[in-house]
Amino acid sequence: MQNEKTIASAVAEQEDNRATAKISGEFVTIAAIFGLTFAMILASRAISPSFGSWSQVETILYLSSFLVFCAFGQGLVILVRGLDLSIASVITLGGVLTASLMNGSNEGFLYLVPAILGACIVVGLISGIGVAYFRVPPFIMTMAVGLIVYSLCLGFTRGTPRGYPAPLLSGFMQDKFLGVPAPVYLLLAFVVFGTILQSYSVFGRKLNAVGNNPLAAYIAGLPSGVLIVSAYAMSALCAGFTGMMLAGYANGATLRMGDSYLLPSIAAVVVGGSSILGGQGNFVGTVGGALLLTALATILTALGIEQGWKTIMEGGVILFALIALREQSFAFLREVLGKRG
Amino acid sequence: MASIEVNTPRQSRGLPTVRQIVESAFPIIVIYVVMATIYSVVQPSALSLYSIESLFNNSLPLMLAAAGATFVILQGGFDLSVAGIISLANVVVAVAPVEGPLGAVANLAMVIAIGLLVGAVNGYVVAYLRIQAIAATLATMIICKGVALLILGAPGGYVSDFMAYELTASIFGAVPIAVVIAVAVMVFWSVFRTTNSGRSLLAVGQDENAAALSGIDVARTRFASFLWAGAFYGAAGYMLAAQTATGNPNGGDPFLLLTFAAVALGGTAFGGGRGGVTASLFGAATLMLMQKVLFAVGVSSFYTGVIQGAIMILAVLFSAFVQAVTSRRNSL
Amino acid sequence: MKLTKTAKALALAALVGAGTQLASTDVASAKTADGKWLIYLSLSYSGNSWQSEAANIVKALAATPPFKDTVELVEVISGTDPQAQISDYESMIAKGADGIVSFPISSTALNRVVQRGCKEGVLFFMYDATVTEQCAYNISYITSGFGENTAQALVNALDGKGKIFLSRGVPGNSVDDRHTNGAMHIFNQYPGIDVVAEYYSYWDDRTTQQETAKALAAHPDVDGIWAQAGEYGAIQALLQANPNRLVPVTGENSNGFRLALANPDYQAIGLDGVSAGSPPAQSGFAFKIMMEILNGTREPLPEGQRNIEYPLPWVPGDAVKLCEGDKFENGCNTFPEGKVPSSFVTEVFNPELLPELSLASALEGKPTEGAEIQPLPADAVKAAPNEPGINCRQCEAPENLYHLTKVEPTVQP
Repeated sequence: MQNEKTIASAVAEQEDNRATAKISGEFVTIAAIFGLTFAMILASRAISPSFGSWSQVETILYLSSFLVFCAFGQGLVILVRGLDLSIASVITLGGVLTASLMNGSNEGFLYLVPAILGACIVVGLISGIGVAYFRVPPFIMTMAVGLIVYSLCLGFTRGTPRGYPAPLLSGFMQDKFLGVPAPVYLLLAFVVFGTILQSYSVFGRKLNAVGNNPLAAYIAGLPSGVLIVSAYAMSALCAGFTGMMLAGYANGATLRMGDSYLLPSIAAVVVGGSSILGGQGNFVGTVGGALLLTALATILTALGIEQGWKTIMEGGVILFALIALREQSFAFLREVLGKRG
Repeated sequence: MASIEVNTPRQSRGLPTVRQIVESAFPIIVIYVVMATIYSVVQPSALSLYSIESLFNNSLPLMLAAAGATFVILQGGFDLSVAGIISLANVVVAVAPVEGPLGAVANLAMVIAIGLLVGAVNGYVVAYLRIQAIAATLATMIICKGVALLILGAPGGYVSDFMAYELTASIFGAVPIAVVIAVAVMVFWSVFRTTNSGRSLLAVGQDENAAALSGIDVARTRFASFLWAGAFYGAAGYMLAAQTATGNPNGGDPFLLLTFAAVALGGTAFGGGRGGVTASLFGAATLMLMQKVLFAVGVSSFYTGVIQGAIMILAVLFSAFVQAVTSRRNSL
Repeated sequence: MKLTKTAKALALAALVGAGTQLASTDVASAKTADGKWLIYLSLSYSGNSWQSEAANIVKALAATPPFKDTVELVEVISGTDPQAQISDYESMIAKGADGIVSFPISSTALNRVVQRGCKEGVLFFMYDATVTEQCAYNISYITSGFGENTAQALVNALDGKGKIFLSRGVPGNSVDDRHTNGAMHIFNQYPGIDVVAEYYSYWDDRTTQQETAKALAAHPDVDGIWAQAGEYGAIQALLQANPNRLVPVTGENSNGFRLALANPDYQAIGLDGVSAGSPPAQSGFAFKIMMEILNGTREPLPEGQRNIEYPLPWVPGDAVKLCEGDKFENGCNTFPEGKVPSSFVTEVFNPELLPELSLASALEGKPTEGAEIQPLPADAVKAAPNEPGINCRQCEAPENLYHLTKVEPTVQP
């Protein structure tokens, strides 16, 4: 027994050291992503004179908010060495329920919102329980649950989603406050909340511990199962929230509204410096990843070249960002910074 | 979970034998046989040569793709480029068809070269630049799709008659060529996994550090796994072209998630070290057979997805159960 | 060529080999068990208003007398994977289908199984999307010139000059390709027309809205938008960017778009345009032709002449007329707000070809009370021109492929 404990604490210590060493590395990576995004937006002036303007930044922030919401959940699941492929379907579920239950009226808005998000959480709980307690690989568990949820949405709507979100919600998505779209404030609040939850709360630290070294976390007495399930539940909650916001934005739901967020949500997390192997990640980095991907898409849309070339450029920029942002690229920079510190 | 196993030293000792591969594919073979039995009872015409031929022709592209992905997953990686390479191979065959049996070989060489090239890029970026596989291969997948769109802007093109008709027929009017190819891949795997390369692949997946300590070149093993994967994806795109007799720049898209579902269904562990190509081949065949069974038993409308999803989860649970039982028996 | 049931069974027995004896007995029993025609409704993707309306129309017709007692309709949804639809077609043929009415996922990948089905005596009727296999019937509006006609209407609205967006469908798709080629044929004649952004919206309202918003960030001064399905999203994006400025938009048939075109407030701030494009009613037309051939009241067409054109709907802003009831009556073509979702595709009815249908048919697949299947008018079937890659493989397109049918140029290049 004693022996085991020493191993555990030794492992934990080792992990701790690595984590502190990584903070400066993480900071540089995140600064670099934002720098790259910013440079890209400035450079896009060459394509159109309207680019590089505040209104373009506004559009990018607005459109990236949907990706940021669902990428936060994806990031938590990745943190505990999982992957959530049900995101697309849960976004659709959130959107479809929002449109059909609210049905264009503000009546009952206050209890419908938690009810809809609650339904999405149930989906996440099922995925999480399958992964944590039945040991179904996350990949197949979330893919199967996604398939089931999509199919239920299809059956529920008979293929035609009906209804409209509450005017409160669609109004909020159209609103401007001090000249800036209201959802941009929501995005900022969400980023602050998410960062605190993931990196500075007890819950976040426990998730990090489970992701870093499940064996050590287990020996240290952390309830790994409950933590893993809660990560999936959070992911489903975020996806459902994304669906709700999208329904507000488009003033209605479609059954494929979540499709275009699955791979980008993973890409945003990974480009943002999180490891797909778990235990390492920072939400601000994910936000940077989401902004980078959205800015790239916005710029490509305006480029007057063939779709094939646009697609190649999209992949090329992602690959370039990955190579440029890997830690080794900053080894030198970090050394200098470290010496100064 | 797999990650815990990685840290336990007992697994890195004693590499699995051929018998163990068959055992690791055993649960999925059972599931496949059960499904095939249900199908042939509900739909007696399923046993006709034509039905078997068309079922296997239809399944082969996914089987080859799953076989390729297994190489990468066994060493602990991930490869999304499957969708891009299949699309690219598919359109290349359709815009540059070469007639006759030799032409078919030439076309095959072309697509395998493409697969190897993209695989080499993936392997270099992942193994040597140490970029995360899922993100790097997402980028190469997108690039491949772009190239495929440039080559063929809309579905079309032609495939040589030899590919379209001979490669999808049966040998001596009895054994579908698709079955011959699948069996050949199984034989190849059972030989490959006893070679040094094969052992290295599994060893790296089980415990990277232990593998490095025992003198295995981890980066090279990773690199090689992407090459194998690329070659198999190319072959999958080639058979897709043979089966549909045309090219489609989006032809690879449906393979993205299905390929990994097939591998997971076969019981290969994501994270590496456990599983095999044979199991993935059966996993893919099971997915395609499921489509037939669902039709035959009359589940065919809005709620098909519910049944599909439930079967996938149950199949994985069943595999885990069988594996737990057999490993307990072995340890006793 | 007329295939009666017995002749077909004989032909079938002659065609299938010894190995498929079981199959042929299965066929006979399935078809004659209750004496009904076994018809499959095969969808690929299901999950938008268009697809479910098209499917509902066939379901409603099959539940309308006398089809109610003579047709057994089985709906199969295969998903977006061509391999799955190939597999399901194979299963339908093995089950002894008399006919398959289908939205094919690919214009080329299904050819082999379709050809094999034809040999077994199965009738294939594709609606909207097409296959290039010549033994199948294609009932489609694709050849009716959506791209070039809407492009000309946009050019007219813009007086021949201005910056425009193209909101396209799915990259690498033959239908999207055909529409865009037609549109570019017109736009290229006008040097004053500048395509400043071209993006893919996957025929989806929400995607169109987001993609248009991205393009608007670069070009807030756009003068017009040429859109395929999803057009209502383009209007939402324009309003989001600037609630006081709209531009001419051409698009397809969503109810939201038609209501917007007719909205005087929107017209006042610059909206103008035309609603055309793909009608879900094609499915019902395809099904009725197929049933007439099966019942022997219509001669089958010879192979190579089985491409049938569905007329292009054409509703400019000033022609939008609200329906008071649940049918297209008195020339109405749009439903009031709240009665159907904005994504509802309006062209579900056709008073001449499909008088049996009402709103409940399109929304829920229910037959109209008291309706009976009416024979198609004698001149209903109009041959479609050849279009390589769309409805034939090795064929020549006619020289006047992109000639205008719905609108005259009002400005010269």
